[in-house]
Amino acid sequence: MKFLTVLPEFIPSASVSDTINQILPEMKIVNDLNFEKNDADVLVATTFTRLGRDELKKFPNLKYVQIASTGYDNVDIPYLKEKGITLCNIPVANKQSVAEHVITFMLVFLKDMIFLNSELKEKKNWPLLTGSRDLEGKTVGILGMGMIGVQLARRLISFGPSILYYDVKRLSTADEEMLGLNYVPFDDLLTNSDIVSVHMPLTPQTRGIFNEENFSKMKDGAIFINTSRGEIVDEKALINAVKRKGMKAGIDVYAKEPPDFDSELFKLENVICSPHIAGVTVESQQRFLTETISNVLRYAQGIDPLYRVEF
Amino acid sequence: MRGYEAFADAVKRLDLLPIFGNPGTTELTSLKGVDDYVLTHFDGLSVGMADGLSQFTFSPHLVNLHTVLGLGNSMAYIHSAKMNYSPVVVTVGQQDLRHISMEPLLSGDILGLVGNSVKFKYELKNSSEISSVLRRAKSEALTPPIGPVLLSLPMNIMDEESTYRPPEPVRVSYDVQNDEAAERVSELIKQSRNPALVFGWEIDLFDAFKEAERVAEKLGCPVYGEPLTHRSPFDSTNRMFGGNLLPGSTLINLKLLQNDLVVFIGGDVLLYPYLPSPLLEGKKVVFVGLNFSPKFGDFYRANVKYFLRELEGKITKKGSFSRAADFQTTTKIANEKERMGITYVMSKVKKQFSDYVIVDEAISSSTVLRDVLGYAPRKYFFNKSGQLGWGSPAAAGISMKSGKVLAIIGEGSFMYSLQILWTVKRYNLPVKFLILRNGGYSILKSYSLSYSPGVEKKDYLSFYLPTERFAESFGIESMVADKELESLKWLSEGNESRLLVVDVDRTIPKLFL
Repeated sequence: MKFLTVLPEFIPSASVSDTINQILPEMKIVNDLNFEKNDADVLVATTFTRLGRDELKKFPNLKYVQIASTGYDNVDIPYLKEKGITLCNIPVANKQSVAEHVITFMLVFLKDMIFLNSELKEKKNWPLLTGSRDLEGKTVGILGMGMIGVQLARRLISFGPSILYYDVKRLSTADEEMLGLNYVPFDDLLTNSDIVSVHMPLTPQTRGIFNEENFSKMKDGAIFINTSRGEIVDEKALINAVKRKGMKAGIDVYAKEPPDFDSELFKLENVICSPHIAGVTVESQQRFLTETISNVLRYAQGIDPLYRVEF
Repeated sequence: MRGYEAFADAVKRLDLLPIFGNPGTTELTSLKGVDDYVLTHFDGLSVGMADGLSQFTFSPHLVNLHTVLGLGNSMAYIHSAKMNYSPVVVTVGQQDLRHISMEPLLSGDILGLVGNSVKFKYELKNSSEISSVLRRAKSEALTPPIGPVLLSLPMNIMDEESTYRPPEPVRVSYDVQNDEAAERVSELIKQSRNPALVFGWEIDLFDAFKEAERVAEKLGCPVYGEPLTHRSPFDSTNRMFGGNLLPGSTLINLKLLQNDLVVFIGGDVLLYPYLPSPLLEGKKVVFVGLNFSPKFGDFYRANVKYFLRELEGKITKKGSFSRAADFQTTTKIANEKERMGITYVMSKVKKQFSDYVIVDEAISSSTVLRDVLGYAPRKYFFNKSGQLGWGSPAAAGISMKSGKVLAIIGEGSFMYSLQILWTVKRYNLPVKFLILRNGGYSILKSYSLSYSPGVEKKDYLSFYLPTERFAESFGIESMVADKELESLKWLSEGNESRLLVVDVDRTIPKLFL
């Protein structure tokens, strides 16, 4: 069996190579796909390498593609389906990181950190009053109770908010009790929450679900956080909600990435942005590496790899 | 003197008593002169008890099994004794040889059945050799590699007149020094860019803890525990201890990625899940020990205590390793309390049972158990064969010499040897049982998640066992733990056996990878 890993150039391939040699010496490492053909059976890649039809055609023996990331938007799924090639991602390595990122958005807004920082550093002012608030006692609505939603709920408990959630699949009563969760319909979550955090996958049903109508159901001044997929939100509707309802937004993902930096979104004071990096931390990269190696080793021994993408 | 009288006198003089067993017709003659007998209601449990006690005391103990049938029931336990390097002397009753060609009821090929699970096996040919053969059996059991031996005792021979000569005491010397070993290993260390030490169970066997610490501190290199060590390999409170190696080639390679020399002292490599990484390829690997033959690398046969003393004088500092202070466990404990996570439970156990011998058969929790409870001289025992059902009898056996023994066992494992509670009650053994109830065969579910996805959902891997009620039916006080685990105090109180069930977190993690 032949293995090939393609790493983006900014990842130090020498140190990765040292590790790989101790684990799976048959694995070759390259930095690009600038070759005509490769006889690898297994291809490991990150989301930084485009794996379109033309690229995948270079691998006539390909049986298994492992993406070392949660997302796999860079892969031509119809081609894999046509050729019967297995695709796996790693959906478990960054859930903690995303949960922490979401809480950061919450606290930056609640504690009025942007205002306070600017008063001291830019205006050299010593404000005596602020609008700083506590997370304790607020109502947080989590949309989507998958792995990230669960990690978020676990971390929120210690802050003491009420936690509502909605998911197409409800958790067991025991799990709800353990996580301190209240299951409510989608609309009730929007109307009751001081903070709404989105953790839904992008599907035909969720695409653009945050439109004018649904933003209008949310409380005035509520905090809206999206670390899932940009296409779930109608950006114009979000801008209007921020402007008209005094809402605040923490945004990590965009319909187009990189986004249009001239968009009004980037001019609004009550919007904090990060570059689709909620799940990218030094620690999560190590977890991605470990999980990726584990899955490839499973395949190498003839065991079904985990996290198979169904298509 | 009759054979059985010779037997009774010889086992007493050889300090092999009490006899553990579950007798049948074929043993009645042998036991005529024996009073010091511990009854178990399943043959294998007697081997398990003798295994625990023999390891703990470093002195062989004797088991008497019921012909080929009792031996069959005990084979897993005998194999475990072999894997645990436990000097158990197994005797088995055999049918009367005068009609053996007729293959009577209860006859069978005892030596054939035990196979290579013992290092010495013999069927008595006449009653006059009882004393010398028993002495040889004890001596063989104690000679490295230490391990179980078996004698078959035909009924008619045990009743024959014999010429009896009392056995001389057995003395086995472990004073095996090897000048070349210390010389060669110190040279390799000198040449190495970044060495690592891996200590194993022989450190506990030969009480070489101080010597191990002195070498580690002088070198300044990290110390690891051999994979799945069955006894303490190092004092884990020493900051030179970097944790345990896990039983998989990839896992070992990852831990020792930066080291060019790996020196195993008193321990070996034990693998569990197959992983395709070539084990420690490209590194210099050396083993030093007395009881085992490693599967690769260079090997020097020596008593580790003497070897370490020699080595200490020949080495200089190679690193400045010191394990970082652990502040993370406190957070983990706080996080796990609500769901009764293993780190939380073990941290409470550590407070209440710090001076106890721990017998570990909490297979799916063993990694955490070892990390939290740690290692110290003659304080940790585990079964290196992987057999379930060993922990309870082994702990009961140890409790015959130590008044403070805590067996930590999963509820699934506990079911394998439930009858031990009868023996514990009958002989007032003070062993305490902590049963971790996770609702199924958690280790199998974990394994499945990693290496056989999908099987973890099979309903036969999940079950509910009212262990506390089983214990009560044997007359053992028992209860289910409260959330604050105040009941651990109750468990530790009194000199009688008690059993506490803790309903622990049922989250199933992947196994290692």
